[in-house]
Amino acid sequence: MEIAGIVSYSVGFAVMAGIYAVFALGLNVHWGFTGLFNIGIAGFFALGAYTSALLTTQPPDPALFEEFKFGGNWSQLGFLDLGVDLWFFLGLAAAAAACGVIALAVGFVTLRLRDDYLAMATLGIAETVRLFFLNEEWVANGSKGLYRIPKFLGEWVSPERYDYLYLVVILVVLGALFLAVERAVKSPWGRVLRAIREDETAAEASGKDVFRFKLQAFILGAVIMGIGGALFAHNVRFLSPLTFDPLLATFVIWAMLMVGGSGNNRGAILGAFVVWGIWTGTQFLPGVFSDPNLRFLAIGVLIVAVILVRPGGILGEERRVARPAEGQAAPS
Amino acid sequence: MRESQIARGDGVIGDAPILQLRDVVKDFGGVRAVDRCSLDVEEGAITGLIGPNGAGKTTLFNLVSGAIRPTSGEIRFGGRRIDGMMMHETFALGLTRTFQIPREMKRMTVLDNLMLVPAPQAGERLWASWLTPWRVSREERRIESQAVDVLKLVNLSHLANEYAGNLSGGQKKLLEFGRTLMAEPRMVLLDEPGAGVNRTLLRELSANILQASVERDITFVIIEHDMRFIMTMCDPIIAMANGAVVTKGTPTQVRQDPRVLESYLGGSQVGAA
Repeated sequence: MEIAGIVSYSVGFAVMAGIYAVFALGLNVHWGFTGLFNIGIAGFFALGAYTSALLTTQPPDPALFEEFKFGGNWSQLGFLDLGVDLWFFLGLAAAAAACGVIALAVGFVTLRLRDDYLAMATLGIAETVRLFFLNEEWVANGSKGLYRIPKFLGEWVSPERYDYLYLVVILVVLGALFLAVERAVKSPWGRVLRAIREDETAAEASGKDVFRFKLQAFILGAVIMGIGGALFAHNVRFLSPLTFDPLLATFVIWAMLMVGGSGNNRGAILGAFVVWGIWTGTQFLPGVFSDPNLRFLAIGVLIVAVILVRPGGILGEERRVARPAEGQAAPS
Repeated sequence: MRESQIARGDGVIGDAPILQLRDVVKDFGGVRAVDRCSLDVEEGAITGLIGPNGAGKTTLFNLVSGAIRPTSGEIRFGGRRIDGMMMHETFALGLTRTFQIPREMKRMTVLDNLMLVPAPQAGERLWASWLTPWRVSREERRIESQAVDVLKLVNLSHLANEYAGNLSGGQKKLLEFGRTLMAEPRMVLLDEPGAGVNRTLLRELSANILQASVERDITFVIIEHDMRFIMTMCDPIIAMANGAVVTKGTPTQVRQDPRVLESYLGGSQVGAA
């Protein structure tokens, strides 16, 4: 019984860590490869989560909710009547698209300016999105929260076993995103991003339309974060604006990337599991040590320790090494 | 020989101007860095640009390449207005530059620094690596062999896989020069290519510039304080002071022009005051 409990806990843990790994991948596209300082991950997180949740949740009962009117009711969408839920993928796609459109609009305005403006703008979006869902009760029930968000393939397994199924879903999505990002950043496209990260002026002097590449990277990262938000919504199945506070929805993800290794996709995923492990693990500490504020302190200490011991993170960025050509000495 | 090369018989060089500046002004706040500067650079020539510190040489490069916009005036490259263009736009027209203080991509290998440059690359589209990876890797092999050739030319082959940030000052200068060779430029602006490069390498650099000029028909404009380098490499030479052209002529003419000497001495007096 003990072991079964531990296994079940671990699976639930892996689901959340896997979702956070998706965000870490998105942040890696922004910061790790392009140097875009996005400190409003929570904005894309919330937007992705609410978009998918609102489109798939059934409309609210008018007798129970006075103001709350919205509900997309896509959850009825099946796939060829085989019992496969189609809505889930549409929800993910819609969340990705919503974040992509917002990133396009914000990036178009701010990415021509200095880096600090993007930081301010992203922070602004995060707060705007959160306050919008808090104050506009007719959209998503305000601070009372949105619940009964549907489960993907919920009828397939018993509720106790559901985490196992969802873990597979998470791993498939995470794996696909990992491969896509890995391919992209190791291509000439990614080389331009890294050049922009290193020196924008020099990249411009090398003939690259820096603004266009920054915009593309900003959109790609935001799209990935939107998918992460949707995965999150269908896992916790309850959303309230409080979920998206800057500490848990932005800071922790930054910590994951810094610890795992900025500029390394494997590092981003590893960092998500390590930091989420410490974050959730420390709640079992006795007495005062499980205090949430101390746990944040623990994450802070971890970041400092990693930066001191391994400045590039646990894995760090890989150096792209060319096949030694003829007459070319081995790297020293 | 390009079609535009028309003998003008003015005794300096027989080519039509590829770059024309007319009354170009650049103000930084209250300081006028470039003051109604007008000059022509003839196609195919290796033009030297000299002048005391603060004469406006690097600002002129920044204006021509598109790093900054002129306050007023007109810049034409190959007959086309380029003032107000961004650097990647002038690059696309065949105008490349190096920086006085090298701007290498520190956490990218020397090879990657060079492979970045050629344009347009099909692999620079985000979708390309997902949808047509084979085409991207074929293109990459071609660009890599081009980069390996350039590395040999600038004597950096042994450092191909080293991070560019770990290179010495002189090696970074050579990398800057190599980067311009990776493009297929019509004109290259070199900002002090010899600073920090030792004598032996400087001789090789001169040979490379001459070779590129002759074989690849590239027009060069070179800012350099090493007078021996500039007097042997360049013809014509343009001397600048206080943001404007003092004189233009053959090395001998410029060397003997009293105004040039005066601008250097005058400049140092202003500096001492």
